[in-house]
Amino acid sequence: MDDWKPSPLIKPFGARKKRSWYLTWKYKLTNQRALRRFCQTGAVVFLLVTVIVNIKLILDTRRAISEANEDPEPEQDYDEVLGRLEPPRRRGSGPRRVLDVEVYSSRSKVYVAVDGTTVLEDEAREQGRGIHVIVLNQATGHVMAKRVFDTYSPHEDEAMVLFLNMVAPGRVLICTVKDEGSFHLKDTAKALLRSLGSQAGPALGWRDTWAFVGRKGGPVLGEKHSKSPALSSWGDPVLLKTDVPLSSAEEAECHWADTELNRRRRRFCSKVEGYGSVCSCKDPTPIEFSPDPLPDNKVLKVPVAVIAGNRPNYLYRMLRSLLSAQGVSPQMITVFIDGYYEEPMDVVALFGLRGIQHTPISIKNARVSQHYKASLTATFNLFPEAKFAVVLEEDLDIAVDFFSFLSQSIHLLEEDDSLYCISAWNDQGYEHTAEDPALLYRVETMPGLGWVLRRSLYKEELEPKWPTPEKLWDWDMWMRMPEQRRGRECIIPDVSRSYHFGIVGLNMNGYFHEAYFKKHKFNTVPGVQLRNVDSLKKEAYEVEVHRLLSEAEVLDHSKNPCEDSFLPDTEGHTYVAFIRMEKEDDFTTWTQLAKCLHIWDLDVRGNHRGLWRLFRKKNHFLVVGVPASPYSVKKPPSVTPIFLEPPPKEEGAPGAAEQT
Amino acid sequence: MSRINKNVVLALLTLTSSAFLLFQLYYYKHYLSTKNGAGLSKSKGSRIGFDSTQWRAVKKFIMLTSSQNVPVFLIDPLVLELINKNFEQVKNTSQGSISQCTFFCAPRDFTAFALQYHLWKNEEGWFRIAENMGFQCLKIESKDPRLDGIDSLSGTEIPLHYICKLATHAIHLVVFHERSGNYLWHGHLRLKEHIDRKFVPFRKLQFGRYPGAFDRPELQQVTVDGLEVLIPKDPMHFVEEVPHSRFIECRYKEARAFFQQYLDDNTVEAVAFRKSAKELLQLAAKTLNKLGVPFWLSSGTCLGWYRQCNIIPYSKDVDLGIFIQDYKSDIILAFQDAGLPLKHKFGKVEDSLELSFQGKDDVKLDIFFFYEETDHMWNGGTQAKTGKKFKYLFPKFTLCWTEFVDMKVHVPCETLEYIEANYGKTWKIPVKTWDWKRSPPNVQPNGIWPISEWDEVIQLY
Repeated sequence: MDDWKPSPLIKPFGARKKRSWYLTWKYKLTNQRALRRFCQTGAVVFLLVTVIVNIKLILDTRRAISEANEDPEPEQDYDEVLGRLEPPRRRGSGPRRVLDVEVYSSRSKVYVAVDGTTVLEDEAREQGRGIHVIVLNQATGHVMAKRVFDTYSPHEDEAMVLFLNMVAPGRVLICTVKDEGSFHLKDTAKALLRSLGSQAGPALGWRDTWAFVGRKGGPVLGEKHSKSPALSSWGDPVLLKTDVPLSSAEEAECHWADTELNRRRRRFCSKVEGYGSVCSCKDPTPIEFSPDPLPDNKVLKVPVAVIAGNRPNYLYRMLRSLLSAQGVSPQMITVFIDGYYEEPMDVVALFGLRGIQHTPISIKNARVSQHYKASLTATFNLFPEAKFAVVLEEDLDIAVDFFSFLSQSIHLLEEDDSLYCISAWNDQGYEHTAEDPALLYRVETMPGLGWVLRRSLYKEELEPKWPTPEKLWDWDMWMRMPEQRRGRECIIPDVSRSYHFGIVGLNMNGYFHEAYFKKHKFNTVPGVQLRNVDSLKKEAYEVEVHRLLSEAEVLDHSKNPCEDSFLPDTEGHTYVAFIRMEKEDDFTTWTQLAKCLHIWDLDVRGNHRGLWRLFRKKNHFLVVGVPASPYSVKKPPSVTPIFLEPPPKEEGAPGAAEQT
Repeated sequence: MSRINKNVVLALLTLTSSAFLLFQLYYYKHYLSTKNGAGLSKSKGSRIGFDSTQWRAVKKFIMLTSSQNVPVFLIDPLVLELINKNFEQVKNTSQGSISQCTFFCAPRDFTAFALQYHLWKNEEGWFRIAENMGFQCLKIESKDPRLDGIDSLSGTEIPLHYICKLATHAIHLVVFHERSGNYLWHGHLRLKEHIDRKFVPFRKLQFGRYPGAFDRPELQQVTVDGLEVLIPKDPMHFVEEVPHSRFIECRYKEARAFFQQYLDDNTVEAVAFRKSAKELLQLAAKTLNKLGVPFWLSSGTCLGWYRQCNIIPYSKDVDLGIFIQDYKSDIILAFQDAGLPLKHKFGKVEDSLELSFQGKDDVKLDIFFFYEETDHMWNGGTQAKTGKKFKYLFPKFTLCWTEFVDMKVHVPCETLEYIEANYGKTWKIPVKTWDWKRSPPNVQPNGIWPISEWDEVIQLY
């Protein structure tokens, strides 16, 4: 606008010129009265006309402009047909400065209400024992975290201490005990409660009831406690009603530099608590990682679907490791959340990723299965050009070379029709049975836990016949069924590129995790160059296996394979053992062997035509099932295959074996 | 006295006059400069028109997008047409030798650019930078239609349109999204309640009145009025697509309700039929597209799309419609070359033409040719045994794009009228026995072929 220059051509300027010309003329004729009078009248008339023309012009312009802008009818075309999408938020009269908090503690029920809204209510039997902790935002009163620590059981108090220490100063803390919360409440935890200003907390006794409201690092706002009169009875129910004054929003927030990243961080940190240093005011942990790009990355354009439920802390850990992996492209990641949970969505938004929520359909395993289907369909819809998709779950750590591993192997999926998937997980790859990060296997089982799915397989085979909601099937069990797998195999690494850390889950518990997942080997070396990838193709792999078997030393079959001495104390050798396997589906001896080797024994995993490959004491250890395996021909005639008797049936397997 | 009065009057008039002159200046500055843009700046000598608001807005926008690595390309039909007419000029000139702003300075309210969303890496910060550069931006978002087909998913909204205003000129950035079927889709520009209706004259926008579907254009870099921009390699192809780009989404919600009522057929046979029907449809579409013959989903295939967003598993054939004026004699040959032999041919080009091709697995491809009358359209049918002719009447319709089994195909825009004509008001209820001579409510007997013509009009293979 500054360089706008008046144009001499435009009429009004003409008018001004005329006027000055008139003035000179007027002076010339100054003595001729009649003429002067005439000129004056003329001037008046002229000026009047100018004014009128001007007014008219202004009015015209104005009308033209408003017409151009108004256009009443087109708005209908563009108007939101759905009407008001965002209902007006409920708002109290003016900013509220005080919260009215009610906390109830008793043997069988706890509840917490903030301003009349129940934010916690637990009266389920046999559940929710221990100390319930709620964190409120001191400026808004929003619930930022809700946890229960079963401090009747060991180690739960440690988790509570960890959690409470992570809560930012100034937040409003609410604690209430259900049933029993003191049995394993150790000194550290009691000291922490004391530091919060609690009187009764540090002295909490067997089956006492206790309700507490306080500000972290600040004053106690209310506390009630009732001692249990006897071992066999509980303290009286207590109901604590207290007012919590709200502080200003600025006080509740950290002063991070105003960047796009910190805006995300601020949004996240004003809503939720319990994510450690990501919200600390001084030197918060980064939320953008920018790992090195992979040279010649073949999976840069492969979409990544993260299947998640309501375990936001897991999701947080998972996404951190995923976004730190070399060669990751964040815009290819979509997180699918099973249910309308807010907190997982907040975590997704913190990392600036795409999140999609899924209305739950069906129950339990069928729900997971429907969630998988919707997520996979959505992934291929969102990325119509993608030939593959990476499928991950929220309770996995992702190896730093995860994408490098896929980039080096993905061409196999394109070139070899006999492949079903590529998976980052080796079911039998434990600390003591996996060794070589550059080594790949072909296996007949589908391990899941970080895998690549081919679009054509999904679109043409799996999607049309995916189990319907009324069938309560596990999706992965279904995918492993012969009707689906049709003899195809998966590529897996010897050393897994994912790590299953989830302890809480649909088919998961602490014992199960400890036994089967905790000691899993996980690659931490960046940039591993995979060895001889093309030898994983169908025919080439047979050649490779035959070569291996030919050079393998046959172990002493008279020894007990469960003994450590079964394998000599060497390094870098290849050994082979032959076990009894009458038919293709006879895994009696293998299961017993797996059991004593402390590897996955709940069903058969990791086999390729009756052959298992693993490492023992840094030696490559091959197990061949005789006579079912075609590799039985390599058995020297003198060797009798090992047979292990299954133990008499008394104890069942611990729960349904499944890794969702 | 009178003299003084007169002088006073004169002075007053002069004052008011100059006051109004100032006013006028103000208005010219703000509102008329766009319209007189090209004429206003003769003072710059040889560089004519380069300070018009259009050109400056476009220039700033290009600066913004290239600095932020946003891969936008020009899709403005007006400008593309001009470019097409003077193609040599955009190819061979460098900034120094341009004497006149020819393309971007033509009077208009908007310049339209497009962007492929999946190539956009830093959407977050972009908005802010645009506003810092002086643009006033409006972002139109909506839910992602690619998730609509799936039960109950709700995700982050996707951006559909950006309108960025600089002074009186606005840049309309249409966000294209990739869809299954190798095409680009843009959404409906729908204003939410709180949006200022007068932000720009929305009615004059070239894109956004309806959702649209476009072939994925190849791009080329050219210099237009001294600005480096990407444009479609074949600008006219793109411009011709614009008026026919209207896209309608399948009615996924209704389809789900349908399946809740009637349960989907997931037997092995149904899955197998759907697979072969889909392959046949893909092959037919490929063949017809290669010939440049427009076609649409008709009869049972159209009903399947409209009612259940899928192929009806018991329909046994794939039905397509083609306007008779688009008939080409090499259609039959082309299908034969594609591995689809002619099964029968009824009628002739002048009357009731119908072709039928044999696909794999006993799935048949029927092509009905449509004839246009003043107030309706019709296609014909012939009974092979008796030589009886039938006529199926339809209300007039136009063609829209839609997505069906991972393909971009045409359907009648007025789908409901089309389907009700063919299947009556009860089309929602599945019917497994269907007599093509009697069941359709729009069938009319149409006489009988003279025996002498039978050899020509009834050909069975």
